[in-house]
Amino acid sequence: MKRSECLKLLFDKMAQDVIVVGNVGDTATAMLTYRPSDANVYSVNLGSCSAMGLGLALGLPQRRVVVLDGDGNLLLNLAVLADIAREAPKNLAIIVQDNEVYGAAGNMPSATAGPADLADLAKSAGIKRTGTIRDLGDFKNSVDDILNAPGPLLFVAKIETETDRPQSPVTYNPVENKFKFVRYIEATEKVRIIPQTSGSRVVL
Amino acid sequence: MTEQAVNEIITGLKDAGVNFVSLLPDSEFSSVQTRLLKDPEMRCVSVSNEAIGVSVCAGAWLSGKVPALLVPTSGLLVASWPLTSICMAWGIPMVLIIPFRGDIGDAHWVMRPYQYTTKGALDLLQIPYIVVNRNTEIKAAIMAARRSASGWLYPQAILLTGEVIFS
Repeated sequence: MKRSECLKLLFDKMAQDVIVVGNVGDTATAMLTYRPSDANVYSVNLGSCSAMGLGLALGLPQRRVVVLDGDGNLLLNLAVLADIAREAPKNLAIIVQDNEVYGAAGNMPSATAGPADLADLAKSAGIKRTGTIRDLGDFKNSVDDILNAPGPLLFVAKIETETDRPQSPVTYNPVENKFKFVRYIEATEKVRIIPQTSGSRVVL
Repeated sequence: MTEQAVNEIITGLKDAGVNFVSLLPDSEFSSVQTRLLKDPEMRCVSVSNEAIGVSVCAGAWLSGKVPALLVPTSGLLVASWPLTSICMAWGIPMVLIIPFRGDIGDAHWVMRPYQYTTKGALDLLQIPYIVVNRNTEIKAAIMAARRSASGWLYPQAILLTGEVIFS
């Protein structure tokens, strides 16, 4: 099962207003290629992806938040699983794209190449809905749950190590991503995130 | 920490428009944290380490919340990775409130290293800070930090010391 196949299936069914928070590396490239959107937060660095998704889900309980985490990213800060379970946001779905390697670091094996099982860890942390998806048919059958079922839920998608990485024509940096995302949220949620300034004062 | 200090911190956060707090239990801060966790006006998220707290606050800010992270002195070092990889790289604001354990006046030998790491870490992270010694200075400091954080789109820190945490 390839990452690109999974994400195409997911994005085909995904509404425009779904917020997607993605891992660095191939996830970011796939998001840019298959679902370019101002509702995307790209390239959240190791240990922070699911935690940032938690913050977004708590701040916007009326919006679906889908986190596209990776095995290496999540492994850096597994304690977040317990925090997600405790807060239990119903609008949060996490897919861990588990290729058992650090893809951006020469495909060195991660701990999930050994006995570590992220779905079991998530379940033990208290996330009630967890599972491991090993083929594309099962992934296709899970898309509706990822997009609509009460969260928090965490599915581990066992994907192949990338060899034919998609190349995106889009260039961006996190600052540009931040402003686009914030302006999108301001417009769709009718809130002001970046305040106006007046002289040395910020209009709060 | 006295009741007056606790009240000044909580009132200061609310007056500054902070409506989302993440925290890790900390001995000097537990009275503030306990109150915040029960406060219906504040979305308060208890986390298992301070790095998670930074990332949760970053997500909350992107959603339109005004976040603050109540971080123990030692926890600032744990938080330094996402403060770098998210806040510094992206320019995401939050108010950091840090009891400055290890400052002069702290008699606990365990805290001595934080005399050196706290200001040093904030300087390395390019996070401006205000040192607050008196309870009467708390609210103004929180308001100032929130204003600069929002205007500059970058974290600002408040170090609580003196009578605020040692009396």
